[in-house]
Amino acid sequence: MSEQDMLERFEELEAGRILGDLSNEEMAEWQNLSDTHGLKKDFSIELAAAAIQTEFIQSHADPLPAHLAKSLRQTFPRQTPPPKIAPSVENPLIWQRIFRSPQAAWGIAAVFAVLLAISFIGGNSGSGTSSHLSGNPSPKEALERLRGKAGDLIESEFGGTESYGQMSGNVVWSDEMQEGYMTLTDLPANDPSKKQYQLWIIDPARDEKPVDGGVFDIPSGESTSIIPIRNPLFVTKPQAFVITLEQPGGVVVSKQEVVVALAKAS
Amino acid sequence: MDLCINEYGSLVWAIASRYVKNRTCAEDLVQETFTDLWKSANRYDPAIATESTFIGMLARRRAIDFVRRENRRPLFEPLPESDDIPHCLIDSSSAIRCDSHEVKAALQILPEDTRRIFSLHFDQGMSHPEIVEKTGLPLGTVKTRLRRGLIDVRNHLRRLEGAEPSATATK
Repeated sequence: MSEQDMLERFEELEAGRILGDLSNEEMAEWQNLSDTHGLKKDFSIELAAAAIQTEFIQSHADPLPAHLAKSLRQTFPRQTPPPKIAPSVENPLIWQRIFRSPQAAWGIAAVFAVLLAISFIGGNSGSGTSSHLSGNPSPKEALERLRGKAGDLIESEFGGTESYGQMSGNVVWSDEMQEGYMTLTDLPANDPSKKQYQLWIIDPARDEKPVDGGVFDIPSGESTSIIPIRNPLFVTKPQAFVITLEQPGGVVVSKQEVVVALAKAS
Repeated sequence: MDLCINEYGSLVWAIASRYVKNRTCAEDLVQETFTDLWKSANRYDPAIATESTFIGMLARRRAIDFVRRENRRPLFEPLPESDDIPHCLIDSSSAIRCDSHEVKAALQILPEDTRRIFSLHFDQGMSHPEIVEKTGLPLGTVKTRLRRGLIDVRNHLRRLEGAEPSATATK
């Protein structure tokens, strides 16, 4: 395959990845081209897909259901304002209007605060070492930074269930920053192609269903790992943190067939 | 955030409900997308994309990742976390800043049957098998036309940016 053919093939696979239609074989091919030949993801394809979808939908999109809009408005303003940090970039249009809104300004200020700590943390698993390529804080550094700036930290000890009794660790979480880290010791390494660990956050004030806290791996050869929590939904009063073992990629709703560890927040 | 919910709530809802038929799950996706947006707001760069494209991209990522998890296809690599956005979008070679008029014009370069497949997929939220059933086209044809059509539109929009059509490059 010539270099041009390879580039075109990668581009087609990248388009399939953005459209969500790669077969497993194609995904492996995409991965191989990316790893072996150093081809990088092309975000212009993803932006084009988003622009196309927005163009198709925007003119006749159904309105957001009223109860959902109400729920969203209740979720965001109720966040406790964190230390205000000046924005480092200029944002026009609606972003400027958001910044002019006092309530929203606190929210956006929180974004900057959060991003200072987490914006460049790569990957799902933390090794505790610095990223030499990006110069970004390691999970260990980000955890220390969170400890230094968050005024509402909660910290709980993990206890392993029967088969994981040897593990220990703790979880640190800040509602203000929507940021947290687990420090896990002697949790067995997993094979990501077979099983992955997944964190669940129990927040009864939000929902009776546990909130996904992110999928992560424990690499072999590391006794202690620091794992950033990746919560897609707002968490405000977590009562417990539960680690389960799930299929690769994690699940939307855990059957909790393999509960690994539990930390109660209170 | 109220402004954002007012302005883009229907777009996010429309994207979520096109990918996810279960209404409760679609509502969860909207919540996730706005949380993502709340966390990613300062990564928006008007030099790279319009606001609606940026928000549409976040909504699509959430929706497609949800579908992948539901389909239990573990070998799929997830689309990038919002944390990855600055690494990638800061590169102006990826810029797609086109407005609605330009996107409309770009879609016109596609053959009519490809435009129809685009409409079924992007507008009506049909999966590939649903498009096959609706059009009678083979699955491979549907996939190929969607992928190549997307690349063609991207190339056209990039020419408007004054950039090379293909951003594929080595690290």
